Amino acid sequence: MPDEPFSLRLYRRLLKLYPAGFRENYGEALERQLRDELNESSSAAALGRLWIHLIADLAISVPLQLSREVRQDTKYTRRLWARRPWHTGFAILALAIGIGANTGVFSVVNALLLRSLPFQDPARLASLRNFFPPHDSTAQFHAWRGQSTYLADTALFETLDVNLGGGGEWRRAHVAQAASNFFSVLGTQPILGRGFLPGDDVDGVGWGSPGRNAVAVIGYGLWQALFGGDRKALGSTVRIDGTPLTVIGIAPPGFDYPGKAVLWKPAAFSPGNNGWEVIARLKPGITWPQARQAFATEADRLWPDRTPLQKIQFPSRITELRDALAGPTKNASLVLMSCVVLILLIACTNVANLLMARTADRATELSIRSALGASRARLLQQLLTECLLLSMVASITGLVVAFWATSVAAKFQPSALASQVYSILDSRVLCFALAASVLSGLLFGILPSLYAGRVLTPGTRGSTGNRSSRLIREALVAAQVMVTIVLLAASISLGRAFANLMRIDRGFDWTGLVTVNVSLEGTTHSLGNRRLAYFQEALDRIRRLPGVRNASETEFLPIYATGFIGGPFGLDGRPARQNSMLVPIFPDYFRTMGARILRGREFTAAEVQGNAKVAVVNELFAIEFGSPADALGRKVTIGNDPPLKIVGVVKAMDYMTDGANSSQIFVPAQSPGGFFSTFVARVDGRAQDRLAMIRTAVQSVDPQVPVFGVKTMEQRLSDVLARPQFCRTAVLCFAVFALLLAVIGIYGIVSYAVAQRTHEMGVRMALGTTPSQLRINLLRQGLIPIMAGAIPGIVGAVLSGWLLESLVHGAKSVNATGYVASVLSIALIAAIGIWIATRPIARLDISEILRTE
Amino acid sequence: MSANDQADPTDLTPLSPAFFHILLSLGEGERHGYALKREISLRTGGKLKLGPGVLYGSINKMVELGLIEESEARPDAHLDDERRRYYRITSYGRKVAQAEAARMRELVQLAKAKFGVPKHA
Repeated sequence: MPDEPFSLRLYRRLLKLYPAGFRENYGEALERQLRDELNESSSAAALGRLWIHLIADLAISVPLQLSREVRQDTKYTRRLWARRPWHTGFAILALAIGIGANTGVFSVVNALLLRSLPFQDPARLASLRNFFPPHDSTAQFHAWRGQSTYLADTALFETLDVNLGGGGEWRRAHVAQAASNFFSVLGTQPILGRGFLPGDDVDGVGWGSPGRNAVAVIGYGLWQALFGGDRKALGSTVRIDGTPLTVIGIAPPGFDYPGKAVLWKPAAFSPGNNGWEVIARLKPGITWPQARQAFATEADRLWPDRTPLQKIQFPSRITELRDALAGPTKNASLVLMSCVVLILLIACTNVANLLMARTADRATELSIRSALGASRARLLQQLLTECLLLSMVASITGLVVAFWATSVAAKFQPSALASQVYSILDSRVLCFALAASVLSGLLFGILPSLYAGRVLTPGTRGSTGNRSSRLIREALVAAQVMVTIVLLAASISLGRAFANLMRIDRGFDWTGLVTVNVSLEGTTHSLGNRRLAYFQEALDRIRRLPGVRNASETEFLPIYATGFIGGPFGLDGRPARQNSMLVPIFPDYFRTMGARILRGREFTAAEVQGNAKVAVVNELFAIEFGSPADALGRKVTIGNDPPLKIVGVVKAMDYMTDGANSSQIFVPAQSPGGFFSTFVARVDGRAQDRLAMIRTAVQSVDPQVPVFGVKTMEQRLSDVLARPQFCRTAVLCFAVFALLLAVIGIYGIVSYAVAQRTHEMGVRMALGTTPSQLRINLLRQGLIPIMAGAIPGIVGAVLSGWLLESLVHGAKSVNATGYVASVLSIALIAAIGIWIATRPIARLDISEILRTE
Repeated sequence: MSANDQADPTDLTPLSPAFFHILLSLGEGERHGYALKREISLRTGGKLKLGPGVLYGSINKMVELGLIEESEARPDAHLDDERRRYYRITSYGRKVAQAEAARMRELVQLAKAKFGVPKHA
């Protein structure tokens, strides 16, 4: 009304804040009361006071009334759920998986791309890959970094695993040696002591020189572990591979760049060291495109002789440090994020279908409530509360799925820094989960609410049964069936490939094996004969342990080779066509590994101690020059070294994970891999149970030699196979989820049809049709979209099977029987769903139905 | 007789000041919302001013608890706006108000014994 006072119009708008029930009951009375109040507030001051009161009143009463109605609706919803537990369970499960998968993947995206890095202004930090600035000497490098037109500063570093000693303890640790400006480029300062100063980095080899160069900044965690957080740690000595370093600073908590390093020392520059990695900070005002252009020009200037092939193989790139740290996981997680968002949308659509069926089922009840005075808004509010509650419960359940997903992701692709660890206990991730939950609730609440709106509109019977919407829903189910078949077939193919990986003959027996790594670098055993004495003593102690059958030592372990030396060796001067791997070993190695000696024997202790010029070759090497039997007694030639007489031929052992074996030549060595060695022991019973005992035995030889990598061979194999196993599990999970969605979809459609056609069925039953005939009829109709999806599904599965065969070693397409079995299983599960959905027909009371008409 | 007549009136005590004042006012006869508000404000010397939302929120709850009910009776049509809603106290509401008054009397007696109660505070 145009002559209404402004205050009244405004108040009427504000009344919309009240929940529907209260508003409808008392809206008019509230308005009436305001009119009375306005009549008494003639002056502007009185009007001002009135409004202050009104706002305070709204602030108190709106939340109160909201919470009352939500409580009522919640109670009502709980009763509804208890009446249809399967219905509710399916909906919660589908949403929980959808929201959980989204939250899980988002936690990875959040850790890698959104969470702040522990550096100052990290968005300006760059990683320069395949790029070597002048670095033969400190002077050369520092002169170069000072003249850049686009980089404010640049630092070099390299990382290594070392034996680290301090505070009376020895451990294996990841450390970095870096240019003196490393901390200032990152904008990080030690929380105690100082960082590096100009001149701390020097020219030299190895760990550099004593004095200013022999200093270290240690990580916060290491400071706590070695010195219990004591400030007196400053000035103390730590040793890396035996080299003493004075602690000059403590890094802030959470700082562990690069690659979870725990100690940083000033670099020693030497010509020819190409192990450096480069980071830089962009100059103020320089944009990333400008920096990329300037960098490309500089790379061409510094490395003019690069061939086009080299440019493709080793492209020089400047990227944001965050992107470099995320690596390929960045794109993978973004693609996965889009997939799971799509999955959530499909889940929402299906749950919407399911709820619509339930709303149709409740049409009579809603009409009665409406007739008793409940307004449309009140009933819609109740429906929406139900939807939001459903999504909230699903979200809480989904957090379990999210937690599982993040732990799988962490195993599959661990984060580069501690500050990037994937976690769902992060405010941003939890807000995302809440937003996903509310949005899904609203999304799948729209359809049933619209439908309820029709139910409550006078003159309609609540029928949305137009053909096109039914067709859309059926097409959606058909599409889901198609995707399910493709994913099921893919998971079977990948599952077979994985089973093959586990069954494959690796040339040795990987069960019952314990492996232990040591490094003698920088210890008192690192020189000459002391290495041999150490290994012999350690092996003696291992062999004396109960339950240990054999023990030996090697530089490289099968499957898990951490290094590779080899080359184009030959036989009797004839060069081999393919490269061979050279593996230094101790006596008893083949027996311990369970390898099969085809001809001859393995090395004796005397051959190892005497550095005998003998070798054991694998059958692949032997076959290249004839038969394994012919190889015995002949000589392996390695460049100009004295030839090695072949004393044995073994079955090829899998040193590579993909089963692509190469030629192997085993040689006796007094200290196989003094830098990085592995003890192996064959034990009785469960290898897992012997780990601690063997670790203690090796540690007892000299506590100053850190013992690490204490694992069974089975654990190493599962580490290596984590990736294919992840792929198999992920595809299987997606397939099961797609099946669940398809079943929910078809269940929703059929339930809806039953609710819609109750009257028609009543009439049919009155005319003599039995409930079973009606149910069979619906079953037939329900199976049509399943079959419609099955045909393109099989075509898709055949195509994806071919693709997988070409991409994954050992993957085999599913055969015709497999496809038929998949389709029949899906049809069977869907048929059970349909049969359950049509149960109400069996309980139909004809007289009741006809009377209501 | 309503189901509430069987309930123990002390179950709902102590009452909130708003509830008690509404019952006091309705004890004198039927009232509409605005009349209730004015009367309570007058009785408390302006210390308890119930805004429309709090007033009707309380009325809503009191109807639900069976303390008051809406009255169909209307005063002479030309004396009043017919959109106003009138309320009256129920017999259960009367019992609850009595129980609350008794509770307060006990408190006053206790306070009197401890500190003495001045005639005018």
